[in-house]
Amino acid sequence: MNNILTASNLNKTFDNLQVVKDVSLTIKKGEFACLVGKSGSGKTTLLSILSGLEQPTSGEVTINGISITNSSENELALFRRRTTGFVFQSFNLIPTLSAWENVALPLFPIKMDREKRQARAMELLGQMEIDHRADHRPSKLSGGEKQRVAIARALVNHPEIIFADEPTGNLDSETGGAIMNILKHLHKKSAMSILMVSHDKELAASCDRIIQMKDGEVVS
Amino acid sequence: MNIQYLLKELYFRRRRTLTAVFSLAVGLTILITINALSMAYNEAARIPLKEIGANITVQRAGNVPENLTGPVFACSAVTIKNNEIKQIKQLPGIDGFALGLLLWVFDEDRFTIMLGIEGENPVGPGTLRTEIIDGFFFEKGKNQVLAEVSYAKTYDIHTGDQITIAGKTYMVSGIVDASRATKIAAANIYLDINDAQKLAEESRQVQAVSPFGTKDANILFIKANPRQIDPLTHSIKNILGDKASVATPASFLKSLGSLFALSDKFSLATSLIALIVTILIVLKTMAGNLAERANEIGVLKAVGWSNKNVVSQLTGESIIQCLMGGILGLILSFIAASLLGLIQVNIPIPWEMSPTPHFLPGGGDPVFKALQLPVTISWNLALFSIILSVIVGAVTSGLLSRHISQIKPSEVLRNE
Repeated sequence: MNNILTASNLNKTFDNLQVVKDVSLTIKKGEFACLVGKSGSGKTTLLSILSGLEQPTSGEVTINGISITNSSENELALFRRRTTGFVFQSFNLIPTLSAWENVALPLFPIKMDREKRQARAMELLGQMEIDHRADHRPSKLSGGEKQRVAIARALVNHPEIIFADEPTGNLDSETGGAIMNILKHLHKKSAMSILMVSHDKELAASCDRIIQMKDGEVVS
Repeated sequence: MNIQYLLKELYFRRRRTLTAVFSLAVGLTILITINALSMAYNEAARIPLKEIGANITVQRAGNVPENLTGPVFACSAVTIKNNEIKQIKQLPGIDGFALGLLLWVFDEDRFTIMLGIEGENPVGPGTLRTEIIDGFFFEKGKNQVLAEVSYAKTYDIHTGDQITIAGKTYMVSGIVDASRATKIAAANIYLDINDAQKLAEESRQVQAVSPFGTKDANILFIKANPRQIDPLTHSIKNILGDKASVATPASFLKSLGSLFALSDKFSLATSLIALIVTILIVLKTMAGNLAERANEIGVLKAVGWSNKNVVSQLTGESIIQCLMGGILGLILSFIAASLLGLIQVNIPIPWEMSPTPHFLPGGGDPVFKALQLPVTISWNLALFSIILSVIVGAVTSGLLSRHISQIKPSEVLRNE
């Protein structure tokens, strides 16, 4: 089996509005795919469903051969902790925690020595070249630094796939380019599967595959 | 629960933390202070009787003496017969018992209030033993008496003097300062109960108004199990009839007239209101906290925190905040208690319990027992408030846990 993610006939309806319409797709292991489409096309909702943040109205999602569609909240939480990493557009760092603590956030519920947790976080901050900012809180970091911390947080639990929602959306083009390079480097270096949402066709062009969405449907 | 995260949340969100901590602290301070005040008034009401080693005094009202010469009974304290005394002594719940005999003695040159007491008995005015400022306590069967210091000054009486009252001569064995002790059954001369009983028995004025036998008395001092005071009061009134006058801490409490003294229900109601308002404020603060942190909770769930992980983290924060509020509330309560302890209360002693003839100078003037309000916070109350604050923390977060579990991680993405 070569697919890390398989989605079959996904539908999602909010009240009477169908946001995702009969979507089926696969992401191969080690693939860097980009979900593109206009605002309101259903990209983010689809990403939520594929990553287990949200349940579809119908259809099925399997990651690494395990169906997550009918899992309980706690099973999904455990699944996300073990299998996936998230990078958000607005970074979503915890404002009261330092950079390294934010990186280690997914490890907090796990019984682990503080030293080991900190060492793992520092290793990733080193990879992101911001280990010198480890003790700073998010309010003291630039946008680019925040997103690097967020990427480090997404990697801290050795995920099999990373979901990134407009990771450069809140950054200027230069910083966005740098963040994109980090993601590409990660993908190249460790063959990490990445599914990114973007409306920037230029960024999407540098991915392995582009999945085009329109009005809740995958059109190409 | 991650302690490091918890402490940082509390420290860096100081405004929210302080609001919750101070809300709870103020609520708890009100609750503790009201209860401490209520207990202080209750304790104050016990003091007049406690000072004579008793918690019940019993008298019987009677007729006014017809002829005020020699030894007479005040109308508020006439004979309690020996057989009645025996019946009362047998009532359940009595731990100690002493007889007293109060006499007004009208001699040609002076008026004297005499109190016959059981000197060896730890219950009743025998406790005056500790208030002797000169000489020694009288010895039984030796015609010895104690003179009260102000009376001794007025009549220039000293230890070792011989004094004649109601035609009997006594040796003053010592001077006692009764002003520092109780105001109940206050007298000028204290003598052995047997000597007082002889005086009463031989007095035609006493016998004319209220027939008196050798072993009778007119005041009873009772030390009772505090829980038995009410039923004992009822039984004593049954034995002595309508004219019985039974003084208890509850009757003194009523005479204090304070809202705190009037009713335990008032204290309970006020405490409950303070508690409910406190819980609502804490609940509102915590709810505001959740609304403010909905996105953060979504992030926690998105990165793999289960509902249980999130709830236990927020419960920990809530409990620590409330515990801090509890400790601060306790400190504020101790400060309030020490300030309230400066309040002086005057406990009115009913004329009947320390009668003086109205026609004498100062006679019938109100008598008060002045004391500083004994406001203390018991360890039980302190422990209760700390436990209560932890419970408030746990309950509020428990009430909000359903709300926490309804926050979906996908909301984080949808809000972007």
